[in-house]
Amino acid sequence: MYRPKIIAFLCTWCSYTGADTAGIARLKSPAHFRAVRVPCSGRVSPELIMRTFDQGADGVLVLGCHIGECHYDSGNHRTAKRIPVLKSLLEFAGLEPQRLRLDWVSASEGERFSRIATEFCNEILDLGPVRWRVNEDRYRAGKVDKQPISDYDQPVFNQAVLDKQTDDMRKSARELLRSNQVDCVIGYEEDQRGRTRPTFIYNPDDCSRLVWNKNCTHNLAGYLSKKLNPGLTKSSERTSLSIAVVVKPCDSRTINVQLAEKVYQREQLHIIGMTCSGVQEQPRSTGHLPSAQTPPLQGRCLDCSDRIPLVYDTLVGDSPDYIPDSKGISPRALKITQLNAMAPAERMDVWLREFDRCIRCYACRQACPLCECPTCLYERDDSLWVSAANGWDGVGLNEKRTFHLGRAYHLAGRCIGCDECERACPVGIPISYLNQMLAREMETLYHHQAGDSVAPTPFVTILSGEERFL
Amino acid sequence: MTAVTHNDMLPELGALATIKELGAEIKLFSVRLLNGGRQDYLPGQFAFLSAFGVGEAPFGIASARDNGGTLDFAIQRLGSVTTRLHELGEGDIIGIRGPLGNCFPMEQFKGKNLIVLGGGIGGAPLRPVIQTVLKQRSEYGQLTILWAARHPSLLVFTDEYDEWREAPDTKLHLTVDQPDSKWDHNVGLITELLERVAPEPENAVTITCGPPIMIYHVNKMLVERLGYLPEQNYVTLEARMHCGLGKCGRCNLGEKLVCVDGPVFTMNDVGEMLESYL
Amino acid sequence: MSHIPVAERRTKIISREQVFQWLAQLAGEMDLVAPIDVDGYIFYRKIDDADEVVLDYTKPVLSIKDVFFPPTDKLFLIEQPAGELKILPPAHSTKQVLFGVRPCDARGLQVLDAVFINTEPSDPYYTQRRDNSILIGMACHEMGATCFCTEMGSSPDDARDMDLMLTEVDGGYTLESITERGSQLLKRFSLALDDFSTKNTAESALPISRYPYPSQERWLDHFSDNYWEDMAERCLSCRACAYVCPTCRCFDVRDEIQTGDDGSQIYARIRCWDSCTGYAYRRIAGGHNPRPENAQRLRNRLYCKFFYFSQQYGPDACTGCGRCIDVCPVGVDITEVLQQIAGITVGEQNNPEEVGVL
Repeated sequence: MYRPKIIAFLCTWCSYTGADTAGIARLKSPAHFRAVRVPCSGRVSPELIMRTFDQGADGVLVLGCHIGECHYDSGNHRTAKRIPVLKSLLEFAGLEPQRLRLDWVSASEGERFSRIATEFCNEILDLGPVRWRVNEDRYRAGKVDKQPISDYDQPVFNQAVLDKQTDDMRKSARELLRSNQVDCVIGYEEDQRGRTRPTFIYNPDDCSRLVWNKNCTHNLAGYLSKKLNPGLTKSSERTSLSIAVVVKPCDSRTINVQLAEKVYQREQLHIIGMTCSGVQEQPRSTGHLPSAQTPPLQGRCLDCSDRIPLVYDTLVGDSPDYIPDSKGISPRALKITQLNAMAPAERMDVWLREFDRCIRCYACRQACPLCECPTCLYERDDSLWVSAANGWDGVGLNEKRTFHLGRAYHLAGRCIGCDECERACPVGIPISYLNQMLAREMETLYHHQAGDSVAPTPFVTILSGEERFL
Repeated sequence: MTAVTHNDMLPELGALATIKELGAEIKLFSVRLLNGGRQDYLPGQFAFLSAFGVGEAPFGIASARDNGGTLDFAIQRLGSVTTRLHELGEGDIIGIRGPLGNCFPMEQFKGKNLIVLGGGIGGAPLRPVIQTVLKQRSEYGQLTILWAARHPSLLVFTDEYDEWREAPDTKLHLTVDQPDSKWDHNVGLITELLERVAPEPENAVTITCGPPIMIYHVNKMLVERLGYLPEQNYVTLEARMHCGLGKCGRCNLGEKLVCVDGPVFTMNDVGEMLESYL
Repeated sequence: MSHIPVAERRTKIISREQVFQWLAQLAGEMDLVAPIDVDGYIFYRKIDDADEVVLDYTKPVLSIKDVFFPPTDKLFLIEQPAGELKILPPAHSTKQVLFGVRPCDARGLQVLDAVFINTEPSDPYYTQRRDNSILIGMACHEMGATCFCTEMGSSPDDARDMDLMLTEVDGGYTLESITERGSQLLKRFSLALDDFSTKNTAESALPISRYPYPSQERWLDHFSDNYWEDMAERCLSCRACAYVCPTCRCFDVRDEIQTGDDGSQIYARIRCWDSCTGYAYRRIAGGHNPRPENAQRLRNRLYCKFFYFSQQYGPDACTGCGRCIDVCPVGVDITEVLQQIAGITVGEQNNPEEVGVL
């Protein structure tokens, strides 16, 4: 017989007392309930909820104080903003959204508590046992379709424009170094294999190494915290007082987020902003024989309408004529639409199959310019939130999924979509879909696009009163 | 078919026979192996202790053989494994893997004057050296013990100091960085103390264990100011280890593995290593 | 594993269709690991359906290492029923055949053998899997742009670590028995294969030597170069290089709870892949870290490969497969390092005024 396991996170000051009130008044409350008392609903983090589902919960109920009545002032503001997004993310990963519910119950509202609890339990009963935790060996279900081809313009790279930008960028860098305005320029160079890669220039004469081309895919803003703020990464190597960095429009968004998070001071940076009409897909080592096809523009470039960096000190290049009229029909956008149209169980299979390949190298995290926690929550020595198990079995797969979902969630409202994480992944997990989906949620719910201005993620601010769900 | 008869990653079970407070967040655990087990360990060797459910970590064996059938470990509470060990009580079961590593060449030390320098919890692996010398006192020369800590509460084996002092031809010098109201011995760094009390380098060996920076300064003092040669100075180094068997690759200092080529090295060995332990 | 002397080796010729028939038979009798396509990526995987096997590929994304030294390996289980403590050893491995193994990956196993089998104490987990496995190699048609197996003493058709070896020729593949065990395996299957009279001298793969292989003394000379900081500046410490490498074997050991379906809790002591390039690799509980700088860690990884490892265990810890060059997101290139050590200037050095202290 199906006995649903329901975990309810109740805040001490309101909802837990509300549950008490219901009990004292002998109101009927469902028996399948297990209450976990927390100081504030704001404490209920995504890791906690995901862990609860990982451990086999059929439903999770989070009850907090009504907005405006939080004992800690604005703790429930955080809850109000975070839980809806977590629901969307879990739904995207294949969990029925009705299994996670957020509501508000005050200390005196025994009836309200009873009603919500009963409603929720009935809903969980109707949904049936949860299918979330994986137990089987090596995930084989959920075959993924090949990437759909969309009709978008092939990229047209104007070599003359790129060459002029290269010259101007070099001039700018040389001048900045010569006049000691900066002591380092972070830009791109070509290696002996002809591949483009990040480089660090300290002498004006070395500026001839700098290049600007269709392979300048790296987000150089990722190096800024290490160079400008040694305390963050506990490293003293070659730190600089002031740096010039070459950025594309997307990378410049990263800088806005980094400034909002006070990673460094604006004055420490001279931004050499490049106008950009996209970079091309980089060769991937898949094990298949190499193809001779011209690589297309990267998916993120097809979804991008920024042509000029949002913040810069020196602008290199004119606003490009070429703007592909393709926003929203990139292979990635189509894939997300396709995924959203699937039934939850099918979608879950697709994601599990993707995560199965993960080897927890954390290259995605290291490549991300904004993942900067000195000790990553998911790599703690005590394995508190996520096990280190990364093997090809049920345990490993659950943990790998939680890691990716959790990390994407930590970037919601911050991720600017450079897709470096996906590019760094040696086994090609389409992490960018998670980030893209969350970016859409943040835009829909909170009218927030990361990097538009120097503003932090909505998750850390209080409600403005204009949120769609209020 | 390669026959593998043993699995060195499997710990033996041991009971915590006694637990004694040694200092601030420092406890002395005496472990009795449940099935008898190997008792052939030598001063300088270490063992992995498992706090089951949390993990295992390497600790220097802090007792000489014939310790009443138990092995002593002096453990400071710092991380997840040590915190779990500190939560356990007498009679609780832990895992133990060892003895591992090389040892102090006690045979070679016979007839020589020994200077033992212990800094804080670093004194733990030096205790078996002292105990061995005291048990066969006439076979060794002068014994000079310099025992240091940041604060008196971090000095270990305080209840054995009298025994050490009273042994023939043995001197004990104590020093702390920061005294408390009851402290009436030296105040200052171990290197300052060393400069004052060090015997002549001839026919002497020094044995140091403590934080890396202390090892560095002690050796510097010995070699640059007191006329000792690096090969006379023995140290036991620590490094993060996960297998202790030379497999996981973690504990290397240059081409040497601390778990199999050490943890005991001479400062001459250390000087030749490509990498610094600092 | 006894090698059959070269002069006595029997070579057959096998067509593509026959290969699939043979694989189907193998899969029916024992565990078969072979290269397959998983969502656009080639991996060596245990398969049930021989039709999934891919015969045309460059190098699988991960080396064969994970079959013998898995990303997570359960060392033993710890049960604590009613206060008593029980240690349960892990399950035994089963016999398996590995098909389509590239020479660089088989060389990688030799390197891992040096650590796990040939140096006391032997690791029972790895040793058992190794003893239970038969390797059927597949020679490379050509060397990839990032391949340098020839510099590391091997070649695209190097058969010495295999039990059986396939090399592509007109009409299919030559199938050569290299060891007794390989020969025995072949005898078990009634394949009607013709003898192959003319030994194909690997015209299909032209070994190219493009990079230097510096002597050990060279490595000693370059230990304190600024070059390490230059290279490490772009390195993200992402660890992808170590994870795709056929020879990197550093591991982490920890206890983790395994909740059974009935709610029972047991712990597993697991070992999982780790890499010396991570910041916290050598950090101890008190906070001390002998390699806080990225440059020190990157240098350690490379020195381990070409200097430290051979001092401890014998072979160099690199087979020239080039996967690290393929996966590095920021263009750190191990062949560039070899050139640097050999004294060949690669581009211009970007030295800042101060000398980095390493």
